[in-house]
Amino acid sequence: MATQIIMDHSGDTRHHFDANNAKALAEAERRFKALTGAGFTAATRQASGDVSLVRSFDPNAEETVFYPRLVGG
Amino acid sequence: MAVWLTVAAASIARAVLCLFRAVHTAQSRRRARLESRAIRGIILLREWLSPQQRQQLDSYKYFEVIGCDSGNKYRIQHGISTNVVELDCEGQPHVGWCFVPEGNLVPGDVMLAQKIALETDERGALAIARQFLVPPPLPARSALRPAPMQSAEVPEASR
Repeated sequence: MATQIIMDHSGDTRHHFDANNAKALAEAERRFKALTGAGFTAATRQASGDVSLVRSFDPNAEETVFYPRLVGG
Repeated sequence: MAVWLTVAAASIARAVLCLFRAVHTAQSRRRARLESRAIRGIILLREWLSPQQRQQLDSYKYFEVIGCDSGNKYRIQHGISTNVVELDCEGQPHVGWCFVPEGNLVPGDVMLAQKIALETDERGALAIARQFLVPPPLPARSALRPAPMQSAEVPEASR
């Protein structure tokens, strides 16, 4: 199961989906585009622990985290 | 008359007690909800930290990251603002950078967003960040203690 984790006021909201299910994958892609379009940044984590930004939907990403736009404090 | 007054006073006391209990319960629930949010944030953060960063967080309530563009080292302390400091070559904090994700996020989420930003888009993060001064490190305790008097300096009369 792949997971999209969205940071929010509740801590985070997690959406699990089966990457082999076309409908679930389409829904995950729609969510990805909606969030990044709203200013969220998406990042994935490799097995090694390295983190990388993702600009477009990656159907093979096991775990993607989304955080809101950064602002100067 | 006295009986009426006693009954009325008892009813009012019961109502006040009920109100007090309701407020106390609501406060406890709110506190539990906030604690639960904070714990979720820390769990997510820990999942995304490297083993070394996780160890630092457990020991010192901060962890260090390397900026992807400059190679500089930053310390991210537990908190939701003014919690990122850049370290100099001796590992001492020398300038602070304040940047946070929008919205009312818990410390774990804020710290994770800061880590990802510095490790993947350091220039972008610093471009929007506000700098702040970091107080100089306190002198070591030994430097504050007065130097012991040399035996030659002790006046003859006090011996």
